[in-house]
Parts: sequence; structure tokens; C-alpha cells
Amino acid sequence: MAQDYTEWLAVNVLNEQQNVNYRNLSRALKVHSNVAKQMMYDFHHKQNSKKPGSVHAAYLITGTKKPTQTNGIHSQKDGDDTFMRSSPPLPSSSIPQPDEDEATSTPIRSIMLVKEEHLDQAKELFETMTSIHIYSLQANGLNDFQPLTDCNRRIAAEYASEDPLKEWKTYGSIQNPSVRRRTRKTGPPPPAAPAAKPEPVKAKATAAAATKTSAAEIKESTKPTAKSSGAHAQPEGTSKPPQSKKAASSIFKSFAKGTAKPKKTESQASSAAASSAPAPVAEAEDVPMTGFSDDDLDDDQADGGLPDEEAKEPSGKSKKEREAELQAMMDQEDEPMEDAATPAADEEKHDDGAIDKAESQPKEEPKETVTVENGRRRGRRRVMKKKTVKDEDGYLVTREEAAWESFSEDEPAPKKAKVQAPATTKPSAGKKGAKPGQGNIMSFFSKK
Amino acid sequence: MAISNGVSDGALLSKPSNEDQPTLERTQCVYNPLQTYLLPRGETKHYQQQYADMYFARLAQLKPAVERIAAEAFSDFEIAGQAAKKVDRVLDVRQGNLCWVIGTVYMEMPLKPNVLEDIGKEHWIAAPPPREKYAGEGEQVMLEDESGRLRLTGASLKDWLLVTGAIISVLGTENSDGDFEVLDMRVPDLPRQPQRWERDDGEAAKKGKSVLNQTRSSGGKVAIVSGLSISGDAGDTLSLDLLLEWLLGEATGADEQSEAASISRLIVAGNSLSHAQPIPSREEVAAAKKTGKKTYGYDASSYNAAPTDRLDTWLASLLPSMPITLLPGPTDPTSTSLPQQPIHAAMFPHSRAYIENILPSKTDPPNWFDTSTNPCEVDIDGWRFLGAGGQTLDDVYKYVNGEERLEMMEAMLRWRLTAPTAPDTLWCYPFQDGDRFVMKECPHVYFVGNQPRYETAIIEGPQGQQVRLVAVPKFKETGEFILMDLETLTPEVVKIELFEG
Repeated sequence: MAQDYTEWLAVNVLNEQQNVNYRNLSRALKVHSNVAKQMMYDFHHKQNSKKPGSVHAAYLITGTKKPTQTNGIHSQKDGDDTFMRSSPPLPSSSIPQPDEDEATSTPIRSIMLVKEEHLDQAKELFETMTSIHIYSLQANGLNDFQPLTDCNRRIAAEYASEDPLKEWKTYGSIQNPSVRRRTRKTGPPPPAAPAAKPEPVKAKATAAAATKTSAAEIKESTKPTAKSSGAHAQPEGTSKPPQSKKAASSIFKSFAKGTAKPKKTESQASSAAASSAPAPVAEAEDVPMTGFSDDDLDDDQADGGLPDEEAKEPSGKSKKEREAELQAMMDQEDEPMEDAATPAADEEKHDDGAIDKAESQPKEEPKETVTVENGRRRGRRRVMKKKTVKDEDGYLVTREEAAWESFSEDEPAPKKAKVQAPATTKPSAGKKGAKPGQGNIMSFFSKK
Repeated sequence: MAISNGVSDGALLSKPSNEDQPTLERTQCVYNPLQTYLLPRGETKHYQQQYADMYFARLAQLKPAVERIAAEAFSDFEIAGQAAKKVDRVLDVRQGNLCWVIGTVYMEMPLKPNVLEDIGKEHWIAAPPPREKYAGEGEQVMLEDESGRLRLTGASLKDWLLVTGAIISVLGTENSDGDFEVLDMRVPDLPRQPQRWERDDGEAAKKGKSVLNQTRSSGGKVAIVSGLSISGDAGDTLSLDLLLEWLLGEATGADEQSEAASISRLIVAGNSLSHAQPIPSREEVAAAKKTGKKTYGYDASSYNAAPTDRLDTWLASLLPSMPITLLPGPTDPTSTSLPQQPIHAAMFPHSRAYIENILPSKTDPPNWFDTSTNPCEVDIDGWRFLGAGGQTLDDVYKYVNGEERLEMMEAMLRWRLTAPTAPDTLWCYPFQDGDRFVMKECPHVYFVGNQPRYETAIIEGPQGQQVRLVAVPKFKETGEFILMDLETLTPEVVKIELFEG
């Protein structure tokens, strides 16, 4: 074990010049965080006795601080404040009148991060110290603490696939026996059956998206049969959340090997390359949420060359093709599914379904992005909602739309119309000829 | 450079030990959100109603309470042999008669925001900065009810905390100017306070369970933090990391870790994100106009997902270990009008695994990750907590002179109003059948997030009610969060600092 940590720290701190905190170490070696702290101390001690100054540490001190002499807020306030109330603010007031010294005399519990060079100085501020340990190690001194946020960001990115409920015990996180998480009610296999047809085609192109749709639909269909009472929990329970937790968990993998993995590695690579910015991590985390990550991509493009549509169009078109296929598949698939789902349709579900809708949006989003415009994520989401609505009513889209319009903001309704129209027209040309004409008023204003 | 192994260095500054580290288990508390401020959804939510109805409803709801208190206080009041009489409507007040009357306060303040002025502002080259206070010269206090308005005057008026919307009873007489000379005032005061465990026992009794010999373990502590203000434009979130690690029990030594294990719940009281409100502010709109960029509605290209994502991961890291209640605040992505509705689970792709029911019903167990309304009312370990994201108190603050936020919190409780100034200067949902901001029961703990500094006090009511008031500071600015003991309801502040030498 001794070799393990010495080596790991030597590689990461000395060679790679990374900032490493005890959590990185504890996760890398699968040891308790308290042991990791001791390991860091040991390493720090040894290295510096060999060669002073070769490793720098930041310490975390907890304890009670000595009361400070001046209370900044108070004195400042006393300066400006001319208003003195002579009687209580309300006749029945029982509030204790503030005591001038009260605020200054209470000791403050503090958790303080200190650089090695300031350690003694900081220690003097404390009346009692309850603990002190090494928080992080770095080859060169820290100018600023903020780079240390990168340590936890790496953890979030690299260990996203771990199940916190199982693995975190090793690291010494406080365990909570009563934690409740939605569990997947329908495992990946059953979904696969209904979604089987579409998949082969979709898989390569927008596999991730497809999985979501199919999964969502499956939920819908399984709902009534599986548990009528647990209707709330189930729709959401269908595994998406767990997925998002572990970037590439089962459903995702099973359906989306093609796209999901490349994406992930890509983003990880990029995060490794430029680990400073939050963006890479965000991407990596986003992967499971296909829709969102797609949006991110769009954003990136938009940032690059916002005004010109051409910039977007190329990428859009390549997507379009895939989506065309996908849409075709979905269209076929939708009908049977709806039949299955209709019996279950009731108001409550609608509302519960909000999340499902949100999740299912991602599937279609890519298509819509292409056709409509990169702009409106939200609008699209709404669209998706409508879509689920569709399922229940069996393609009585227009009816449902009207209902939504009346409650919610003006934007969503028009968007649906748009989105659907383009998406469908491209794959199966003229399938819904009437809709294009109905397009969103927004498209009229867009730059052309 | 290596520091000496002094006595204080403790166990963690030593060679790695082989002894087994204990696995800590988190204390549990009983948690029941009351959906007091949840609005109807879908078709049943309307915005066609007039706000005037809210004031009428409020007056009708609170009049009996004020009347009782006022009758007790004023019935024996005599001046020069003339006894004070109750007058039912403000317009029935007759000049020279000593009387008392109940109504809604309306504050006419020249600095109060005004729609017409707002429109004018858009044409100015440099608009004046937003007001910190509405209070200033030329303010008038009025009392109104269904019948009309009465202007109040009197020397004692300026000593009292008064804001638009409060229901009060005033004793006095109309003077020759037609103004009402106020001698004394009464407010509804604290409503009935439930006993600890009252609601839980009631529920249990309904189900036929015996309540008597039930043992309840201590719920430990609850942590309250507000104003995380994750902005995404600066890498300044290290103290957020430290808070996370501390709450998870990974940072610090064994003693502190076992203390962290006694924290049974985290409440995030508003402003978790710093620029996420869905409606751009007037300043932002003006800025957009200047750049000449015309956007209709939502502009996706300017959307930055990083802060939301950061918050989501942060919450998702904590959730395996502790349950969380998330209140929205003025800068969070949800409705801007009070009561703010729960932040939608779609914002939390990672954390929402811990939300079992998007639309919680009374029969379901509460969600592990409870995204709640603002304000919100919850029962924790039998205590009633009333929490707010901050805008209600901030708005009251603008009306009154002085800085004593605890006094304002107390006043809000004694007015029995969680949002007294809505709908006058705070946006709110036009309640039709009864004002939901009227408190039906007195909380045991009243906390308000996003306040300039930590303050706390205990107030007492006429029937022996005791309420713990806590002003929760902004975490981003102060690094402070609150731990509240669920047995004694004593708050304690913990500060996270980065020592810069």
C-alpha cells in the first residue's frame, strides 16, 4: 500500500504537476478519506525531508475562532444609521433589543483552508482546533485557491459511473440507509422488444436519442400493466435518472453503444486536455442527456459564428439525414405504442409525465434543431410534451396543443407546430403537408 | 517546510494507519412538507382575477383575529369620559368620535416603483439606480377596507413598522383635516402554534396507530444554507466544494465527521443560481436594445448551462448521503411571482433520480430531494418550519426605516402574513379564494434566506408561542451556513473560509 500511494502521488503531483486533494487519492486507491489524508501527510513529509520545498500542501483546519475585535457590519451601520426607534416596532413586540457587544463576543465555528506558508498564522486565529489535515498537494505553491476546484471536478467527471450508494462507503462518506432513489422498473431487455424495429436503423445515427424515445414509450406502455397504483413513480422511474448518474449505464449502453461512447470519450479527452474550464466536465456529464449535450454543441457553434446560418446548416444537414431515418422509424413505431398507452391516459399522468416529456424531448430535439433553427430549446421541450400527449390521445395532436396553449406561455404552442412539421416533412416528404404553412411566427423574423 | 508533529496536529497528520475507519451513518429526521403554497396546475391556474380580491380576502380572514385583540385592548379606553367605540367601516368614522376601526394599511410612497415611471425610464439616457428603500419624504399611511380609505396621522405612526397589506386596528379620532389621528394600534399577532408532533400524531391517530408509547429518536441537526449563487462566470466555487465535503463527512477529522453525520437534512433557502431568472431584468432588456440585437423571446445562444450543471452535480453528490429541500429564490429558474413554484426536476438531470414523484401527493412519502415552493412550510421532527427565499423580507425592508431585519421578520409573523407587500410591490399569484399568504398556524422556526448577515432571536406570542427567527446569510458572500439543533432549536453558524494570509 505504501508503494501505491507514494507512486500515485509521485506521478500525479510531481510528474504531472496536478493539484491533488485527498478525495482524488481516496478514489484512485479506493481507501477511506481519512487514510488518504494520512497518506498525503506521509508523502509530503517524506518528499520534503528529501528535498525541501518540493511539495506544497494546503491544510484544512476546523475549530472555533477567537472572536474578532471589530464587527465590520456593525460599525459601518452605526455610521450611517440615524434612525433610532424609541418604542417597539409593534405594540406586542417581544424581540430582544440588540446588544451592542453581543454580536462581537460569540465565537465562530470555522472551517478554514490555509496554504502551507500561512499555516502558523492561521493557527493563531483559532481558540480551539478540532481537526487539521492536509487538503491538497501540489508541486508548486498555490497563488490562488480556486484551481483546487478542479480536483473535485475531476472526481465528478472520472467517477461519474460509480454508484454512490455502493462505492462511497469505501471513501468514508456518511451513509444514509433510508435514501430513496427511483429504481428502474422496466429493465433494458423488455424495452428492447418493442423498440427493436427502429433500433437497427437508428442505432448508428442517433442511437442515444432513439433509446430515449423508445424507453419513454415503453414506460408509457408498461405503466398500466405494471402497477396501476404506482403510476406516478413509474413513469419517471423508468431508468433515466440512474442513467444520468452513471454516464453510460445499462440502458444507455445497450441501445446507444454507437454514439454514446464516442461522445463520452471525446468529451473526456477534451476535459483532460483543457481541464481548467468547467465546460468540458459539463459536457462529459451531459452525455447521458442527449438532448442537452446536443444543445451544447449547437451553442458552441453558435458562439463560433453566430450570425451565419450556413455555419449551422452543414452540421444540421448531416444530422437531418440521420434524423430523417429516425423520424421515419419513430413514425411507424409511434402508432402501436400509442394504442398501448391510451388506456392509461389520465390527467395525473399528464402532469407527472412532465419529466418524461422533458426527457423525451432530447430524442427529437436534434431533428428539430436542424429544421427549425438552433435557437429554442425550451420550445422544443414543450413540443415533446405535446408528443407524449399525442401518445395518449392517439395522434389527436391538434386538440392537445390547444389545451396546452391556454395554460402556458405563448411560445411553446407555435413551436410544436413548427417542429413537427419540419421533422416529418423531411423524412417522409409531404406527410403532413399542411403543417409547414402553420410555422412559428418566430421563423418569420429569423435572419435569412 | 514539513510542519512539526506537535500535539495539535492530531491523528490525520501521521503515517497512514491500518486501523479500520468507522463507517458513519447519518441521523434521520421526520420530514413532512406541507403543500401550503403549491399552486394549482394546468387549467386550474388562472391569471384573470383582480388583485383587489386578495386584499378583501385577506381582510376577511384576519379581521376576526384583530377584532378580538383590539376589543380587549380598546374597549376600556376612555378619554374625557368618552369611551372608544368600534366602527365597522372606515367610512363610518365620524369627526370627533373616539373609535377604533380595522383595515388594510396602504403606504403611499413617492419612491415606490410605478409603472408609468418605469416606462419613462426607458427613454432616459441613464436611469437612476434601483431604490434601496421606498421610504422617504412625503409618505402617507392610509387605512382601507371595502368602503374606502382613511388617511392616518399621529406622532406614534412613525415608530411602528407598517407596510402595505398589513391588517391592523387603529384607535383614534378623526381630526378637523379629515385625517385619522392614531393613538394606538393592534395587529393580529401570532396565530395558534401547533404542539410539537401535533400533526404527525394526528396523522397517526387517523390511521389508528397508538401515539402514546411511541419513542422518537433525536433528529440531530438540520443545515440551512442560502445564496449559493452559482454563476458560472468565475471559478469561485471552492467553498462550495468544502461545504460539500464537510457535509459528506469526508473532510476534517473524526470528531467533526461524526458531527456532520448528525445533520439529518440540508435546506437550501433560495438563490442557488445567480442569474437564472427566466425573465430578464429591465436593465438587461435595455442593454439588449442598445446592442441593436433583436431577439424575440428566449435566446438559446446566450444560455450558459454550466451553472445549472454545477448545481445539479453538487446536489447529486450530496443526495446519496442526505436528503435536501430546495427552495427557489428570486434569481432561480422558476416562476418569478410568489409563491414561487418548485424548480422543475428537468433542471436536475442527475439529482432528479432522487425525486420519486414530480407531483407529490399527500399520501406519498416526501421526495428525498424535495424541490419545494418559496415560501414553504414543512414539518421537521414535529417542528413547524416556515422558510422563505428572501424577497418577502427584502421588500418589507424597503418600506421601513431602519435595518433591523429580525424586527421585520417578527412583524411579518405578528401580521400573520408571509408576504405582506404582495401584491403591491411583490409579484404574486392572484389568489381568488382566500389569501394563501395568511398564516394559519404559527411556525416554530421562521427562517429567511439571502440576508446580509446572520441574525437570530426568539419571540413570544400572547399564548406562549415561541418562535425562533433566523436570518440566513448569503453563502457566496459570507461563507456561512446555519446548523439548527432539532431538539433545542438553537441555531449555530459555521463559516467556511479561505485564508489568504
